[in-house]
Amino acid sequence: MNELSRPAAPDSLTRLLARRFVDHRLAVGSLAVLVVMATLAALAPMIQALLGVDANAVDLGVRLAGPSLAHPLGTDELGRDLLLRLLNGGRVSLTVGIAAALVSAVIGTAIGLAAGYYGGTLDALLMRLADGVIALPLLPLLIVLAAVDLTKLGIAADVARSADMSLYRMVAIIALVSWTTVARLVRGAALSVREREFVLAAAAAGAGPLRIMGVHILPNVASPIIVATTLSVGHVILLESVLSFLGLGIQPPIASWGNMLTGAQELIWSAPHLVFWPGALIFATVIAFNFLGDGLQDALDPRAITR
Amino acid sequence: MSAAPLLRVEGLVRHFPLGGGLFARKAGKVHALNGIGFSLAAGRTLALVGESGCGKTTAARAVVGLTRPDAGSVHLDGRDLGTLRGADLKTARRRMQMVFQDPFGSLNPRLTVGTIIAEPLVIHRIGTRDARRARVAEVMTRVGLDPRDADRYPHEFSGGQRQRIAIARALAPAPDLIIADEPLSALDVSTQSQVLNLMKDLQRDHGLAFLFITHDLAVVDWFADDVAVMYLGHIVERAAVAALFDAPRHPYTRALMAAVPVPGRGKRRIGATADGEVPSPIAPPSGCPFHPRCPRAVDACRTTMPQAAEITPAHVVACHNPAPVPATAAQARP
Amino acid sequence: MMRYVVQRVGESAIVIVLMSFLIYSLIGLMPGDPIDLMINSDPRLTPEDAARLRAVYGLDRPLMERYLHWAGAAITGDFGNSRLHVRPVLDVMGGFLLNTVKLMGLSFLLSVAIAIPAGVVAALRRNSRLDHAINLLCFAGISVPVFWLALMLIIVFSVLVPILPASGTGSVSGGGGFIDAVRHLVLPVATLTIFSIGSYTRFMRAAMIEVLRQDYIRTARAKGAGPGRVVWVHALRNALIPTVTIVALSFGSLFSGALITETMFAYPGMGKLIYDSIMGNDYNMALVTLLFATVVTLAANLLADLAYAWLDPRISYDTGRGARP
Repeated sequence: MNELSRPAAPDSLTRLLARRFVDHRLAVGSLAVLVVMATLAALAPMIQALLGVDANAVDLGVRLAGPSLAHPLGTDELGRDLLLRLLNGGRVSLTVGIAAALVSAVIGTAIGLAAGYYGGTLDALLMRLADGVIALPLLPLLIVLAAVDLTKLGIAADVARSADMSLYRMVAIIALVSWTTVARLVRGAALSVREREFVLAAAAAGAGPLRIMGVHILPNVASPIIVATTLSVGHVILLESVLSFLGLGIQPPIASWGNMLTGAQELIWSAPHLVFWPGALIFATVIAFNFLGDGLQDALDPRAITR
Repeated sequence: MSAAPLLRVEGLVRHFPLGGGLFARKAGKVHALNGIGFSLAAGRTLALVGESGCGKTTAARAVVGLTRPDAGSVHLDGRDLGTLRGADLKTARRRMQMVFQDPFGSLNPRLTVGTIIAEPLVIHRIGTRDARRARVAEVMTRVGLDPRDADRYPHEFSGGQRQRIAIARALAPAPDLIIADEPLSALDVSTQSQVLNLMKDLQRDHGLAFLFITHDLAVVDWFADDVAVMYLGHIVERAAVAALFDAPRHPYTRALMAAVPVPGRGKRRIGATADGEVPSPIAPPSGCPFHPRCPRAVDACRTTMPQAAEITPAHVVACHNPAPVPATAAQARP
Repeated sequence: MMRYVVQRVGESAIVIVLMSFLIYSLIGLMPGDPIDLMINSDPRLTPEDAARLRAVYGLDRPLMERYLHWAGAAITGDFGNSRLHVRPVLDVMGGFLLNTVKLMGLSFLLSVAIAIPAGVVAALRRNSRLDHAINLLCFAGISVPVFWLALMLIIVFSVLVPILPASGTGSVSGGGGFIDAVRHLVLPVATLTIFSIGSYTRFMRAAMIEVLRQDYIRTARAKGAGPGRVVWVHALRNALIPTVTIVALSFGSLFSGALITETMFAYPGMGKLIYDSIMGNDYNMALVTLLFATVVTLAANLLADLAYAWLDPRISYDTGRGARP
């Protein structure tokens, strides 16, 4: 009975996807660049210890020095080693970027799943909320949110003003305004997956809404979530850098690529290299995430229209 | 039917609103079920027959609880499922499992076959992880699959194998009743008979009852014990298979049988064909829904919905002017 | 259609009211309050004076009451005085608004003038070397941090090769005339154009590819319409519909770009006004400028939706907005 024969060798879906991704050379290159950058940034404290140089050590004797053996990229206006500050800044910018993108992906996924699965009035309400958030002038709103005095919200002054708080605050406010893309994608996908028979089959077997959303719908909407989240990392890094540059984001002494450029207008005459490097690294990182997202999109969902 | 019914359905009504959206006005409704009732004894098979759009799939979904009926009730072992809550409802759900039409759509492509088959066990918290794995292997063997394939994904299997997976999933929590919604229509003919044989074997070995939804009369004759014929949300005729095939009384049943050759019975021309289109379930005709196409329609058909009546023992027909028992009924069997 | 317009306008009005309350609350959460500023500037004020002043200004009232009081005055056109400019905020806004319109308008026209042909060419020669080059430049434009781009342009064109001014509008110092005003606009407009052109080009390319796939384009070709006519008459017109919509929808993003650009070049526009008023604790000014930015962004979105409904006859909105995809 041929029915009993075992299925033929599995057609390698994973391998097919991998090949499609590798075809996107810019995406592969970007992935390599990001891996190198993330590794260096993650190892920044170790590199620092190895060289025996403190990135935050102020040395007014070597202010604005050009490249040298001790300081490969020179020093800043306070005599701090630029390369080490860049690595440390990268650690912060990448962490905030990825964390905020992940948080907004989680928020967006939860909202999108609820809207798409339950439909009806809940769907209409959530999607109007998303429309409202999308329609707001993003940067002015973020500036206000970043300027809010947390002590007025009842948070203890020493906590509210601590340097670490600026990290959490960045992640929180950026996630608050950037969950909409994922929410809309997930909702659309959930609406179509919800009508598939395997979802009905699970419901007929007695599965509850949480199980249906988590086990049956979520894995089938993973591709758009992955693509959108990758693309949003770049966007988040841009937002973080501009807020930090304006003095509203990551607070010194923590270095981020954005706040390293705070006050750069005064340096354009005396030390243009100080202005060049942090921005160039933001640029490189963001473009790499965008290429990576584009490549993932081609590999995972070739029919999607790039928006 | 002397046994107490395992499943009893009474006066099931389901209308779907048309249009929708938050601000749109309701444009009308689809009358999918207009008060159907039937019962099914343990270990037996009831076939629900009708053309597409007659409401048979909605009926199946209402029975398993995928669709909430507007009126009517579903009873399992005499207990109204609509009144059950919590653990009782879960137990009742476990005892009824469903097999869907499209084995390509009804299996989640992202899960392995083992996970899919184990899902009802997980949902109903049956057994430990190891016990569930053993049960999966057991039912896979039972439906003719190799348990070593439990780690594979549905797309690696053929249509017939996938329907076996779906049946294994339904079988896993040891149900008393399987609702099968056109389980053969997506399969090619040779595979159909294999899957049908499998279901017959399962019924014999496990005492399963089947609610079998189909449009294929040929399968009904071979597989079912009783038949209910549906037309536009109504059950127009209900009888044991032999009685129905030998002496169809409702003009619609006769039209169905005339259109389809039944193996072993030949294609009979009873002089009863249905002309014209199936009316829209959005705006069903007045009176008997079949009257615009019915060759035996009388005046009452246009105004009054005929009530179901047991015109011979265990043979229920909803018709003002049922066809007479053909004199040649006995001769129709070769 | 009329029903749809009314509904969308109504929705936007609700969002504006909600946003005005949200912004009012957020401004109240900014560091310090007007009385703190008075105390700082006048050391003779005692805490008792401060409490009395708070009562006089109604700052001790609950948030909702203060908001309704503000909203009541705002409806009559009274938005209060600017703390930094010491004039009614609406008087101050006029000049800044005009500057922003100049900046955004010029760079919008410039980017559209480049993006449309670039997108069309990229779509026509899909996967050619030219397409890849255009794509690369688009990604660069989308990915560059605007404030850094501005700094780089200043370094190159004002420091290394000092041919263009790095800040202001020129009109303030006076005497420069038209040429000088234009010279002051070059770098800001260039910055904002580079910022927006990448996404516009990609929208245009995607829309054009979609249209070229349609049957009526193939029909027009088959009927012997010349390639130029097919592309520029039949295809472009239809590809512009989705592009116009998306471009209008990205108004908020353009405004964000303008805010950074204006701040970088010390260009006295709305964006800089918002930033300066927030940083300078100019509460009335911040409130009004933020609300204004919200209203304009919502209006742009509304117009985009309506334009889309009007331009695309296939879409009927009379049945209301279904929640279905």
